[in-house]
Amino acid sequence: MKPLAALAVVLLPAAVLAHHVDLLPPLEYEPPAPGTYALYRIMPTPEGRVVGLSGKTEPLSRYTRGAVTLLGFIYTTCTDPEGCPLAYRVFDALKEEISATPRLQGKVRFVTLSFDPMRDTPEVMRDYAGSRAVDKGAGLRWYFLTTRSARELEPLLEGFGQDVVTAVDRTSGKPRRELSHVLKVFLIDPAGDVREIYSSDFLHPRIVLNDIETLLLEER
Amino acid sequence: MAKPVGILLFLFAAAALADETCNSPYIAKLIKGQEDYVYVWTLGVEGLGDGSDKLVTIDVNPKSKRYGKVIHTVSTGARVEAHHMGLTDDRRHLWAGGLADNRIWVFDIATNPAKPKIVQTIADLGQKSGWLGPHTYYAMPGRMLIQALSNTQDKGGRTGMALYNNKGKFLASYAMPTDGGGDGYGYDLAVNPRQNVLLTSSFAGYANYMRPIGDLMNDAAAMKNFGATMVAWDLKAMKPVKVFSVPGAPLEIRWSLNPKDNWAITAAALTSKLWLVKQEGKEWVAKEVGTIGDPAKIPLPVDISITRDGKGLWVNTFMDGKTRYFDLSNPEAPKQTYEKTTGRQVNMISQSWDGKRLYITSSLLANWDKGGADNEQFLRGFAWDGKELAQKFEVDFAKEKLGRAHHMKLGARGLHKATE
Repeated sequence: MKPLAALAVVLLPAAVLAHHVDLLPPLEYEPPAPGTYALYRIMPTPEGRVVGLSGKTEPLSRYTRGAVTLLGFIYTTCTDPEGCPLAYRVFDALKEEISATPRLQGKVRFVTLSFDPMRDTPEVMRDYAGSRAVDKGAGLRWYFLTTRSARELEPLLEGFGQDVVTAVDRTSGKPRRELSHVLKVFLIDPAGDVREIYSSDFLHPRIVLNDIETLLLEER
Repeated sequence: MAKPVGILLFLFAAAALADETCNSPYIAKLIKGQEDYVYVWTLGVEGLGDGSDKLVTIDVNPKSKRYGKVIHTVSTGARVEAHHMGLTDDRRHLWAGGLADNRIWVFDIATNPAKPKIVQTIADLGQKSGWLGPHTYYAMPGRMLIQALSNTQDKGGRTGMALYNNKGKFLASYAMPTDGGGDGYGYDLAVNPRQNVLLTSSFAGYANYMRPIGDLMNDAAAMKNFGATMVAWDLKAMKPVKVFSVPGAPLEIRWSLNPKDNWAITAAALTSKLWLVKQEGKEWVAKEVGTIGDPAKIPLPVDISITRDGKGLWVNTFMDGKTRYFDLSNPEAPKQTYEKTTGRQVNMISQSWDGKRLYITSSLLANWDKGGADNEQFLRGFAWDGKELAQKFEVDFAKEKLGRAHHMKLGARGLHKATE
């Protein structure tokens, strides 16, 4: 890719994104332009059985192949500002940007996967997703998934390397079950390989968008 | 083995990421309360115990009946100059290796933190990257970035980094720059994710660090083969951006953990100087900011440990066996406020998250440690009240027939279990 083209690719989204990222911590540096760096095939996406909002059980690969996928683990009662809520804000900002960029249409999907199958039933996930859930049409699709049981969740957590520890917080006088976890969001290429893993330190829409563009440039 | 003091004038330190305040920023499960264990990566000594490199687990919880005692050892069955270790980002595994070899042992420290066990041996670093002597193991999300010291071709100081995923699969390698002022050497690495900056430092290759120090000192040509640079990299692109001239083998790199800060500090072993790497405007610069002891006496600063607020720095100097504390309130002008002799030879220093407990070990390299009675091999635990270091326990690694005590990592029982 020629430098000017790469520059245009990064500048245009940056301008459109500007008003969406106001609610996020500012990016303190200029990220490298799409296509000027490598995203290695870190690992294959693990396989497992997941449940969509319709209640139907399907293989996870149904949601991780054929398009660039951004996948994040959440649990619906998470309150850690550096955890699930941060991921949600970033996904929201990216959704608006991708929806406004014709060349990205149909090439990117989001997957939000619960790691609390005890509480996050398809019904709970539907309430959590609200109008964000989109599973048809030509625009960005955003799937909200859960699992039937901890047993079915386990190989997914293990495969992704998503560590979760259950803790009960009684400090407020009202016991609250927390799932202590390190925020990780996974960028998956159309072949199903994980190409980037974001922590809260660098989960920023501009970085993720550049990475999505980098993967799409591989296909041109 | 006895060595003349004059020879030791040119000793270099070999140390890296040591403690709870100096871990990768991608390790979220920091131990912010009382640690239960110190894991000590220990060089085997021929004729001492089984003679193999081993991971030694020591109980360091004062409430334990086994406080200050060795509670477990895992022998590798090899003796390859065991040196450093690094935690994976999920803190389930500890990667450890030696400088004489390219094997990396992966220990499971999550299933039973009191009894680590070897679950994998990675042996393809040399074949895949061409590097030799894995030194720093730095957790990235789902990956481990490894800084080597040497290369398999000529065993000199030209080297680089290698990237593996957490399952032990090789992903990529990156050569240290040899243009733009780069000398190709490597030593430590440390990341500032908020600025997308990776910093690296520089030391020497296998041909130097594996030689008996006396032989090395008598080889004038070999003595020129030490690093004198640091490099700032674009972390995302993994491309060198700027090479800094930092004479005298800059070793450990510590970023301030204070979110308001934007600087890192390092110590140059030969010159006994502290160097600050910071951003001035948009430009990253390296500047000499302080002196450790009397450089004319070559105290040899080895490991350093920064406090969690970035306001203080512990410095171990190998030759005089001293542990020094510097006030870093103004990182442009560090000021020494305390010192104490903590051993006849001291290398690594680790502190707890709250800074109230310090752990010190003794060994640099098998062929560079002091000889005779000065060759103490230990882990010593200290309490720090802000004014005085008070020794609380000692494990004598020679008496226990363990070997040379080197790198440390802290462990705790509750990190991976459901809690209430």
